[in-house]
Amino acid sequence: MRLMNSQDYGFSATAIGGLVYKFMCLCYRSLDRVFDIIYWPVISLLLWGFTSMFIASTSSFSGVMEFFLGGAVLWSLFWRAQTDVGTFILEDFWSRNVYNLFASPVTSIELFVAIGLIGLIRCILSFLFLSFLAWGLYAFNIMDIGGTAIAVFTSVLLLFGWVIGILIAALIFRYGLRIQILAWSVGFIIQPFSCVFYPLDSMPGWVQGIAITLPSTHVFEGLRYAIATGELAWQPLLISLGLTAVLFVLSIAYFQYALYQAKKLGLLTRFEMA
Amino acid sequence: MALLEIRDLRKRYGTVEALRGLSLDVERGEFFGLLGPNGAGKSTTINILLGLIIADSGSIQIFGHGFTSNHVAIRRRMNVAAAFTSMNGVLTVWENLMVYGRIYGVKHLPRKIDELLERFEITDLAKRRLQHLSSGQHTRVTLCKGFLNDPELLLLDECTVGLDPDIAEKTRRALQAVQRERKTTILFTSHNMNEVEELCGRIAFLSQGEILRVDTATHIKRLIPHQVVEVAFQAGSDLTPIRQLHGISRIEQNGDHALRFVLDDPTRQLDPLLRHLTQSGNPIVDIHVSRPTLEDVFIKVARGEL
Repeated sequence: MRLMNSQDYGFSATAIGGLVYKFMCLCYRSLDRVFDIIYWPVISLLLWGFTSMFIASTSSFSGVMEFFLGGAVLWSLFWRAQTDVGTFILEDFWSRNVYNLFASPVTSIELFVAIGLIGLIRCILSFLFLSFLAWGLYAFNIMDIGGTAIAVFTSVLLLFGWVIGILIAALIFRYGLRIQILAWSVGFIIQPFSCVFYPLDSMPGWVQGIAITLPSTHVFEGLRYAIATGELAWQPLLISLGLTAVLFVLSIAYFQYALYQAKKLGLLTRFEMA
Repeated sequence: MALLEIRDLRKRYGTVEALRGLSLDVERGEFFGLLGPNGAGKSTTINILLGLIIADSGSIQIFGHGFTSNHVAIRRRMNVAAAFTSMNGVLTVWENLMVYGRIYGVKHLPRKIDELLERFEITDLAKRRLQHLSSGQHTRVTLCKGFLNDPELLLLDECTVGLDPDIAEKTRRALQAVQRERKTTILFTSHNMNEVEELCGRIAFLSQGEILRVDTATHIKRLIPHQVVEVAFQAGSDLTPIRQLHGISRIEQNGDHALRFVLDDPTRQLDPLLRHLTQSGNPIVDIHVSRPTLEDVFIKVARGEL
């Protein structure tokens, strides 16, 4: 069997509908799936909100509240998108549903479109809740940054979150549940290099070398620039959007390769028996 | 043209050859059994047919189309019910069947689900979460999933495991009824030999990744030609002359007043044996003739004696 053929790229709206229905059922049937839409993002918002209040009261640095809260709200989008891909894939492993799912006519594209759709809904809910909370608690209105800026920032972060999520899903298919911790932990590894709460040029040289390759860094640099100047730094943002789009295609290709390897090695049926 | 054509299928895991050039034809509407000891290659074959494992070489044609280049379209027309697999445990039975019904593009889905739940006698479980069901109930939900899309080819892998005898019997009746109505082609694996014999028209006997024989159960049982006749005599009988009877393959003592006669060629040996027994003058209190069962063949295959 070849790695992929044209059928693997096809998709049926009915199948996607079935998968979205499954993910919706999973959300309302398990409280933790509802809870995690807001729990960690709210903790992060409170932490950085109070930290920024303290810094603002002890320094003359202006815009500190916007930098921290804007970073916290936008980072939650990346984190949500990334963990949703991993956990929705893992649900099938935990339920021993991988066998039935991959024996059905579902394609990987349908699976990721469905996860993307449900993930988008969850991200929007999380974003709206945090925006409202930031406004209520700290009088910070993220929409002051501007609709266009928000649209560009969120697009890059969602897409980049899905890229990382898909890569982790690929690794889970290849190496099994023993690496499932990556689904929650990779975000914490990427965060310090994404310059969420501090500028790129304040970092040591070697960190800058890594950070500049991450699309998320350009979003948070762009956020600070937009807060400081009221304008968008289009060039780095468009480059990061393009880079993320390329990474997205590559991550799908890598997932297909990992799935192919899993089928060659007979891993899909062994996961089921684990 | 056969509905399923497998040619020279090979699969190796490291040094282990799971399939060694397996070839098989299954005709449309057949209830076909795949039998063999653990490691014979049954599950590997089924998993390759489902696209869950990729073969090293060989070809598969299903519905007249190559599986490799048409696997998505082909899988829409087939289905599987396998023990030891599951669906989403936190979802209810109804929700799980709705999910798979949509994935398979089933029309009039709620009506179809109702019909299947009723057929497998689990209508009352529709709103129960899958994780709260017993293994027998779970098996019947899996079977409902298998029939959701009225598959032209259905793979049943140990699908009656965990059912009590009553439910297992009802399930076999339901399987036969659905298969008759829909003319579904069924590829069936089980370790319950009586079940295989009852349900399957033809059986492929696998051993070490190869097919030993494809035939009806009756013919496969002839792989073991002998019959055993066990005779119990009245206490005090003199069995010495009987033990010296010629032309019987093997005569063994079977308790104090009983003998076991092994007949390698029953059609020629049975009649002389019975005549000799009645002429011996020893009163017979019990007699039992046992023919080889599918299980006997299975055990001999598993032990490498066939």
